[in-house]
Amino acid sequence: MASRVLDWIDRRFPLTRFIRHELTEYPTPRNLSYWWNFGFLAGFVLVLQIVTGVFLAMFYKPDVNLAFDSVQHIMRDVNYGWLLRYIHSTGASAFFVVIYVHMTRTLYYASYHKPRELMWWTGQVLLLLIMATAFMGYLLPWGQMSYWGAQVITNLFGVTPFIGDQVVLWLRGDFSVGDATLTRFFALHYLFPFLILAMVGIHLIALHTVKSSNPSGISLADKDNIPFHPYFTLKDLFGLGVYLIVFCAFVFFMPGVFIETANNIPANPLVTPAHIEPEWYFRPFYAILRAIPDVLGGVLAMALSVMIFAVLPFADRSNIPGGARHRPVYRAMFFIFIADVLVLGYVGSQAPTGFMMLLGQVATFIYFATFFLLPFISKWEERWLRARGLPPELIALFPPRPPRVKFPRPEIAP
Amino acid sequence: MKRWLVFALCQFACSAWGDTEPALNEVRVGVDLPTLERGAETVITVCAGCHSLKYVRFRDLVRLGIAQDKVDAWRGGKPMGAAITGQLPADAALASFGKIPPDLSLMARAREGEADYIYSYLLGFYITPEGTLGNHYYPPTKMPDILAVAGVTDPSQRAQLEQKARAVTSFLVWAADPHARERRALGYYVIGYLLIFTTLLYFLKRRTWAKLDRPASA
Repeated sequence: MASRVLDWIDRRFPLTRFIRHELTEYPTPRNLSYWWNFGFLAGFVLVLQIVTGVFLAMFYKPDVNLAFDSVQHIMRDVNYGWLLRYIHSTGASAFFVVIYVHMTRTLYYASYHKPRELMWWTGQVLLLLIMATAFMGYLLPWGQMSYWGAQVITNLFGVTPFIGDQVVLWLRGDFSVGDATLTRFFALHYLFPFLILAMVGIHLIALHTVKSSNPSGISLADKDNIPFHPYFTLKDLFGLGVYLIVFCAFVFFMPGVFIETANNIPANPLVTPAHIEPEWYFRPFYAILRAIPDVLGGVLAMALSVMIFAVLPFADRSNIPGGARHRPVYRAMFFIFIADVLVLGYVGSQAPTGFMMLLGQVATFIYFATFFLLPFISKWEERWLRARGLPPELIALFPPRPPRVKFPRPEIAP
Repeated sequence: MKRWLVFALCQFACSAWGDTEPALNEVRVGVDLPTLERGAETVITVCAGCHSLKYVRFRDLVRLGIAQDKVDAWRGGKPMGAAITGQLPADAALASFGKIPPDLSLMARAREGEADYIYSYLLGFYITPEGTLGNHYYPPTKMPDILAVAGVTDPSQRAQLEQKARAVTSFLVWAADPHARERRALGYYVIGYLLIFTTLLYFLKRRTWAKLDRPASA
């Protein structure tokens, strides 16, 4: 019976073929390390956020007079409402942890190289969508930090030339963050995850066209690819288990660390909190915003700092595959960059006083210098490495050029 | 050794930049019923004179385990589903203190330092050299020294006050997150289950992957 039903479907829709082609028999490089688990984890976190979010939306009230109370209603009266909310609030941070590790792995192995440019760019769009979603979601509890964070960030759009005030007004729907803002942020916070879901679909279609990169950086022969199921289904599930242990430790034992104390005070437009600071995942970019003394410059630098990842497929001109694995200079740049982002994150959490300001400016300079120097350093590094001699597994990729034939210069009769 | 030296230097440098607020006294909040009940007693009979706890209802106190007749005595004629409200009308509070006393339901989560802050603040009152009342941890406070801490030097009396402050703090920590105990209890089961499940998955994964290295004919 079951096979007849399946047969009926298959004649009308390629269900069996799809499952076999894209899931069970999908060829995957067998040398993928655990760093390759994070794409799957990101998908899992997205689904968990959507599911908990839908249930939270059944009890949440997007109204300035009710929002804070409705969150407390969820925390106290709704059956397991506290669990839903803590999974959702911890999940926001977890999402960024997973996404940042996923990006870091791509950077380390330079997986953005040909033919995976579109994967990197769709990933870049995903990052922007996730950031927008997180930012709008943060307004919803309507605490002090929600309100003032939204106030500060929407204000930044005021630097748009000529129409700045109108843009801010259009975003907020009011002259300051208020009921109109809360309601539209709620509507968009509900919408964006589905845009993300669609974008993830595109990301995956691109992945299944170009296939996974792997730590060696070399496209593997067919014999080194193994079917996704059962090998990677099990590896991903085991990774998911480890992830869930850490995630649940936060959800059940320290859920408060991701909720600012100031956000347990209802929003009050008349009282500004002493320190307005964004969530940890925005702090490196926030530090860049503050490092530039001019507001317009700061906003542009911040926008650029997020978008600049898109240039990497062009900026990294090295033909040597495997990224940091085979390229010592690139590896050094990678670690400097990661350390620099961590410094920026720290600076973004501190008051912008003398030394912190200077540190932030130096770190901002290093951040952008990495991208601007990469085209030159990568080309120079490739020449240096090839002159020094490549490891045996790479030599086949670089056949020696035929020696240049020098023609004797014809003698010109005087 | 070197690492510790660098760490110590960083610590020193950070402390040099840090603000000069006094360090908070750490408190181990109680989760046992007697402590919470003593805290509830003080909060409802003393604090709730001015402060509200608008997210805490009398019913929640019974659910916590406090005896029904005790809760009945506290609520007077109010229904079980009523929230704990302050006795002081807003305009009277404005007239005598210059501000409306903040709601206490989330106080244990709404200040930097959380429980330690409340505990330190309650015990932080002192008599200034000018003879007025001051507080080490929140100098601009308008609240009177409700536990009558200022000027008490006798160690046994002081210890009693510390016990009282600890009970109040413990109750407010409960009030800020009343499902915390249930959450932790569930957490042990969830993480225990995940540990077993993940260990099994690990061995299953290893066994499956081991097949890859066997020759195809075997």
